[in-house]
Amino acid sequence: MQSALKRSGRADVVSTATPTSNRSLAQNSAGFGSLAEGLDYAARGVTGFNFYSARGALETVLPYSELRRRAMATARRLLSLGLARGDRVAVVAETGPDFMAVFFGCQYAGLIPCPLPYTMYIGGKDSYIERVAGMLAAARVQIVIAGEDLTSHIMDAAARAGVNRVMSHAELQALPEAAAKLEPFGPSDDAYIQYSSGSTSNPKGVLISQSAIMANARAILREGLRTGPDDRAFSWLPLYHDMGLVGFCLSPALGQVSVDFLSTSAFARRPALWLKLMSDNKSTVTYSPSFGYDLAARRINGDAVTLDLSRLRVAGIGGDMVRPDVLEGFAATLAVAGFRQEAFLPSYGMAETTLAIAFVDPAKPIRIDAVDRLVLKSEGRAVPATGGNARRFVACGRPLSDSKVEIRSADGAVLGERSVGRIFVRTPSLMNGYFQNEDATAAVVGADGFLDTGDMGYWLDGEIVITGRAKDLILHNGRNIWPQDIEWAAEQLDALRAGDVAAFAVENELGEDEVVVLVQCRLQDMAAAEALRNEVSAVVHRSAGVECRVVMVPPKSLPFTSSGKLSRAAARQKFLSGDIAEITAATLAVTQDGPEASL
Amino acid sequence: MTDTAAQICKLLEPFNSNGTALSAKTDISADLNIDSVTVMDFVMEVEDHFDIEIPLNVLSETRTVEDLAKVVDSRVKKG
Repeated sequence: MQSALKRSGRADVVSTATPTSNRSLAQNSAGFGSLAEGLDYAARGVTGFNFYSARGALETVLPYSELRRRAMATARRLLSLGLARGDRVAVVAETGPDFMAVFFGCQYAGLIPCPLPYTMYIGGKDSYIERVAGMLAAARVQIVIAGEDLTSHIMDAAARAGVNRVMSHAELQALPEAAAKLEPFGPSDDAYIQYSSGSTSNPKGVLISQSAIMANARAILREGLRTGPDDRAFSWLPLYHDMGLVGFCLSPALGQVSVDFLSTSAFARRPALWLKLMSDNKSTVTYSPSFGYDLAARRINGDAVTLDLSRLRVAGIGGDMVRPDVLEGFAATLAVAGFRQEAFLPSYGMAETTLAIAFVDPAKPIRIDAVDRLVLKSEGRAVPATGGNARRFVACGRPLSDSKVEIRSADGAVLGERSVGRIFVRTPSLMNGYFQNEDATAAVVGADGFLDTGDMGYWLDGEIVITGRAKDLILHNGRNIWPQDIEWAAEQLDALRAGDVAAFAVENELGEDEVVVLVQCRLQDMAAAEALRNEVSAVVHRSAGVECRVVMVPPKSLPFTSSGKLSRAAARQKFLSGDIAEITAATLAVTQDGPEASL
Repeated sequence: MTDTAAQICKLLEPFNSNGTALSAKTDISADLNIDSVTVMDFVMEVEDHFDIEIPLNVLSETRTVEDLAKVVDSRVKKG
């Protein structure tokens, strides 16, 4: 087995990363009116962004001063294309200076950037193109910019979405700079579009204003992370997600904090490199969903002792259910490297509120609440318990001081301590709405200005504890997966029809979401059923990048609502209670005798 | 099966938890029921073994052991 920390001996290494501190520029934690104004200020110092290769070598150094220069040149090139103020510019958010130049270039040009994902899965080309096409259509973009290697995928997606301008970064940078005076977005303008909710077929663009990003970045820097002039951040989070973009690109820029970046795919290949580079760089702040800590701890092997993580002040957790067992495992493995358990910082947020909603006090250790599993399920109350019936949750902190959170019952009553309900939030960081989609916006933002987060939770001494999702959404390794996407993909198989498939998550013994796919099987023999099972598993894997448990069930066993819609909640309930179960040779025979037979 | 494909099958074996018979036609993500994170771990093994880098866009068009062997062969030659 090779060392997880193997480095290449290549010579394409640049000298030194940006310094951690500005000596001659006072720290200003997002006290600005706009992103452009924030970058103008940061550019007066020496801090900035640094990018590491997949093998851990420092590849590119981009001080904020250089980023500002490149962004302004990019702004003039974008304007030379005749784009109008407020037009949308989609850009593939690869972790590197090209993306940053376009994102901030749009701020100086008065254009709205829309960061797009890049393809990450083996064999995932078709689903990637479909996903991107939906995103381009949702934001009605005028132009898409991508790296050279992705332009052919992007052109396919653009053609489907009716977007006729696709450019590589090289082509964009080769354009002449327009002579026009730059008119950057100001405090009352829009800032960017973040893709978040919505299935592949119906994605939504979250429109974030300059005032919302300023309010959120201010709260993140001052109340959440409490960054000081000696802080240095590290991130492998994707820049097309709110946690990566807002948490580790925009907020650090608005607080003049230096960031060291490793691309997400490089992290996925070598998770331990994250820890090694944080040790080398004396990082003080980082973030990851629980699964990232799990991966890194499992891959570091005997190398933990060679690391120094004693400076890591904030090891934030967000993006998935915070798992106490994973955090305990990481802390135990990395204690030898000087990692302190108090560094863990659980938090809660979502793209619709720019990013953050609540943070735990960074000076305090995490708080685990063990409650009775049965009372929680049957009565919706979180009653303290111990032993085998206890389910452990991690408290995710207090709401930001400028925000108001309510936990409400099904009939809208505001709930108090330890009663589980739906979480609502009102905040200056709230999105302007889903881009040109009033119905979708009205479905989540009430007349009272509160956003329905779709999450369930309860209060514990003023802190929010998240217990799960109210919606059908499946959370897997920090990603939202829409069950519709899985069902639709499976229903394309010849042996299946619309309404034959139900996908949902069930919790396994470890507290992880396991994806279960129920498939109504009309086939006559077990061998054919087995072949179909493998086909479904394969198609789900290709389209959603997730492993699943496929359960073949008899025809007409899936429950539907009175309006004819599949009821996933009822299907899940019946599956868990055993009312719907895997077919056997015996049940197949019954089905053959009477096609109307059902359980 | 080409020599490259045979080497890939050998690298794939530790990830083959359900004991599927590996061949040039094996669909790496679909037939083996390995999740997207573990796939990247396997990709790293392949990259280290052949001392190449496989970009994500190329990976997105790669499904079978045979496909991957072709990618490896073309990159090793370029090397």
